[in-house]
Amino acid sequence: MPNLVLSAKNLNVELGGEKVLEDLSFDLKEKEILIILGPNGAGKSVLLRTLLGLMPFNGEIQWKKDIHVGYVPEEFFVSSTLPLSVKEFFRFKKVSQKQILTALNYVGMETSEKFLKKKLGTLSSGQLRRILIAWVMADLPDVILLDEPMVGIDIHGRETIHDSLEKTWAEQGQSIILVSHEIGEIVKKADRVLAINKRKLFFGPPEKVITPHNLAKIYGSSIIL
Amino acid sequence: MDLQLFYSLIVGIFVGGTAGFLGSLMITKRMALVGDALGHVALPGVALALIYGFNVSWGALPCLALGIVLIWFLEMKTKLPMEALTGIVFTASVAIAFLFLPESEVSTALVGDISQINLSDTFISVILSLMVFLILRNIFSQMILINLSEELAYVEHVEVKKYNLIYLICIALIVAFGIKVTGSLLMGALVITPAAAARNIARNLFQYSYGSLIIGALSCAIGILLFKSLGLPAGPLIILIASFIFLISLVFRKK
Repeated sequence: MPNLVLSAKNLNVELGGEKVLEDLSFDLKEKEILIILGPNGAGKSVLLRTLLGLMPFNGEIQWKKDIHVGYVPEEFFVSSTLPLSVKEFFRFKKVSQKQILTALNYVGMETSEKFLKKKLGTLSSGQLRRILIAWVMADLPDVILLDEPMVGIDIHGRETIHDSLEKTWAEQGQSIILVSHEIGEIVKKADRVLAINKRKLFFGPPEKVITPHNLAKIYGSSIIL
Repeated sequence: MDLQLFYSLIVGIFVGGTAGFLGSLMITKRMALVGDALGHVALPGVALALIYGFNVSWGALPCLALGIVLIWFLEMKTKLPMEALTGIVFTASVAIAFLFLPESEVSTALVGDISQINLSDTFISVILSLMVFLILRNIFSQMILINLSEELAYVEHVEVKKYNLIYLICIALIVAFGIKVTGSLLMGALVITPAAAARNIARNLFQYSYGSLIIGALSCAIGILLFKSLGLPAGPLIILIASFIFLISLVFRKK
């Protein structure tokens, strides 16, 4: 399959003797938006981190050759006393001023020189999240993995960011893997949905797999206990 | 100006400046007290150097290397917190040093003596400080990124382990050379205080890191000049000047 960006086969991950992911297989195509759903503790973040080579695993992970991967982690904290400006943070990536401004536009942030001079640690958690997304996108990765990117952003902000990101991704032809613990608007924008709870629950285009029966599989199983 | 004073000033400015620059990274990585602890770890080597009359930095370096490896090894074996192990190793080092450190040399070992410094020592201190400064400047943004998120750094192809090792070697070198200036008891302050002062007033990383460098160098220069005119020991004067600058920085603290 020439247009595969990623192929994962029979992934097994253990944490402290406990199985966190079991026998998971899926793939990601070029320009595809894949949403990973699952209840809290289903192993979604572990899956992303395994794909990135941050966790030991059994099985097979095959990325397309020379691919440039970007990652938006779930947790990202900056001390308010750290004198690191927004601009300096972007400069870590050796990107030009123009690329910084373009990336800030993707996430609907202001691009004034005054804002660029602000300390990263003094931004609100929502602003910081948007900056992080823009930072990851600034040097145009081929694939972006986002772990609960909208946590801490209000509903209005979410819609704006989703719309603008979706447009940008379509323009740039990036592949996206987005982890979310809640089912919402976002799922409609996916090309395929992968639901997991340690094991694969279902995998396919949203119009086919998002059924009441399947949803009960995700959220029912977490309620039983 | 007499030659000895000139050498002392040069060493103070270069080592103090680099220590300040290093401190801006150490505070960020919550490793502020590591410089302090390593200063103590070096003490047995400093004692040997004082007894046999060679440069204290050369005595300090093998002790630091041994201490760092020992802490790393114990952490692997016991999984106890790093700070507890560092505490054990540094107090044991002080205890060993005091078994054979001559009483007449106690003050030199603890608070330094920069008055007896020759041309070759000066030359080596300058070269090594410059080298460490250039290395730190090169790894600075990667180290800050590692501090913000190790995983993010890894994904951005920063070799985290390699950078941490280089950083640790830089700390060991600066502690070894700083001991010559302020002694093992006060070495920690040479790293922490200038950086803390700069952090209070800086708006960005550039101001922060170079502010630390300038405050470190300035504290050493003023401290050494005061030592010359007052006759009080240079090490404590340097640290008091840095502490005074820190107090002033509180007034101008940026929210």
